[in-house]
Amino acid sequence: MKKFLPPLIPLVVIALTAEVTVRSGAVPSYLVPAPSAVLRALLDSRDELAAAMAKTSAAALIGFALSTLTGVAIAVLLSSSRAIQRAFYPYAVFFQTVPIIAIAPLLVIWFGYGMKTVIASAFIVSIFPVIANTLTGLLSTDPALRDLFRLYGASPGVTLVKLRFPAALPQILTGLRVASGLAVIGAIVGEFIGGQGLGSVVDVARTQQRVDKVYAAVLLASALGLALFGLINLISALTLRRWHASEATIE
Amino acid sequence: MMHRRSFLGVCAAALAACGKPAKIRLALNWKPDPQFGGFYAAPYQKHGLDVEILPGGAGTPTVQMIGAGSAEFGIVSADELVVARSRGNDVVALFAVFQNCPQGIMAHASRHLTSIGDVLKEGTLAIQHGLPYARILEKKYGFDHVKVVPSPGGDISAFLRDEKFAQQCFVMSEPLQARHAGVDVTVFPVADIGYNPYTTVLAANAAQLKGDPDRAAAMVAAVREGWRAYLDDPKPTNSHMHDLNPSMDAATFAEVAGAQKSFIENSRLGAMTAERWTTLIGQLADLGDIPQAMPAQDCFRSL
Repeated sequence: MKKFLPPLIPLVVIALTAEVTVRSGAVPSYLVPAPSAVLRALLDSRDELAAAMAKTSAAALIGFALSTLTGVAIAVLLSSSRAIQRAFYPYAVFFQTVPIIAIAPLLVIWFGYGMKTVIASAFIVSIFPVIANTLTGLLSTDPALRDLFRLYGASPGVTLVKLRFPAALPQILTGLRVASGLAVIGAIVGEFIGGQGLGSVVDVARTQQRVDKVYAAVLLASALGLALFGLINLISALTLRRWHASEATIE
Repeated sequence: MMHRRSFLGVCAAALAACGKPAKIRLALNWKPDPQFGGFYAAPYQKHGLDVEILPGGAGTPTVQMIGAGSAEFGIVSADELVVARSRGNDVVALFAVFQNCPQGIMAHASRHLTSIGDVLKEGTLAIQHGLPYARILEKKYGFDHVKVVPSPGGDISAFLRDEKFAQQCFVMSEPLQARHAGVDVTVFPVADIGYNPYTTVLAANAAQLKGDPDRAAAMVAAVREGWRAYLDDPKPTNSHMHDLNPSMDAATFAEVAGAQKSFIENSRLGAMTAERWTTLIGQLADLGDIPQAMPAQDCFRSL
């Protein structure tokens, strides 16, 4: 309870303030919906929203999983030699700067309408933080420990698995935390163009000037982002608890 | 507090007395193109107005902008305005550029389709599902046999690549592009299914109209003059708009300006009738887009 109380307080305060502001007429309801109206939209359209949420979750999760696997693999490759890093790292930055909204229509041409386009969009926007953080982690192994491994004649493969990768975990997990939120954004942007899911709900509701429903869908998208974030935190706690300061419980 | 307010009042009065017109913002819902020609051609200064035109883009919420006061005037469509009013956004139509709705569905001519219903029998249809006419189509014919995908805006590349692909369009815009690209098209105006709202409608919020009715009257007069001039000779305004929106080439400007003329010409440019508004309100109420019908007279003013 102690853990959940602090984040609940700002939620209640902000929601109440918004409710009072809209009800009093200070802000018209067609610009900002009252939280109660958003809850009503959530209830009224629950079937539609649940189906949309399922699609968006699937796409965001798959996109995120792909960027995790690919991102870590690319970072391992980049970390293997300075020359490779210098040659390819600038192109990895491409993924960070690509204006997804501009290329999303092209994704439709490559992957067609529907799931594949949405997954591709989630993948593209979420891969860079994985590459960047993993690479930093892999390159900052304690030199003394690396010397120790070399002294004992450990192969590069063993050094990677037993030393460099575990030592990089805190950074990798930080990259995944950033990527998880981006994957949700990427999925929704992809859905604007590719159709389906919460992105499509937002698009339709916006055309119909249903601000309450737009916010209801946005709320679900944030819930999805939060759930992914929570998942990474859980993995982080499980893997780092025994040795890393960031997860050590303060008594 | 009181002092400051009266001080401001004096300043405002002094400014008004100087004859310097206050800046008025007109929010468009798309980039400068022929559908706004008359607004760019209008002699605002002659009517004592200083107007700044704010170009928009896909999804610019003009109706919310004029409701919130972030623009004094805005371009909306009639159905959008009725829905906004039902949600408590007190906006009013003043001048309807398009007397007939220029929206339609375009399909490849090679499919030899004869009605809008045929379009929905197979293939893909790119349409903004939230639009009332999309849902009228769905109600009337069902979307069971056609794959409905989001509208790509003015982009026709998916259309060109796929013969079974149909998409919503402005009847004087995308079909021309397709023909230029060598694809012959059939166009079905949505007015064919009885849905014919006024579009490219100049609107303002009601409170502001009440506060300064003369300004709205001057605005409408200027816009009406602008449209007359643009319909008679679009060339100078087109070249100005082409400078603002170079992505549309000069030939297309001329072509579209010619093609849209029949949708705009009217015995009195921009005029609206209560019957047309009543029909629209009835259709939107049937669709459930508005909870109940509203008086047509509240939706527009004849200035």
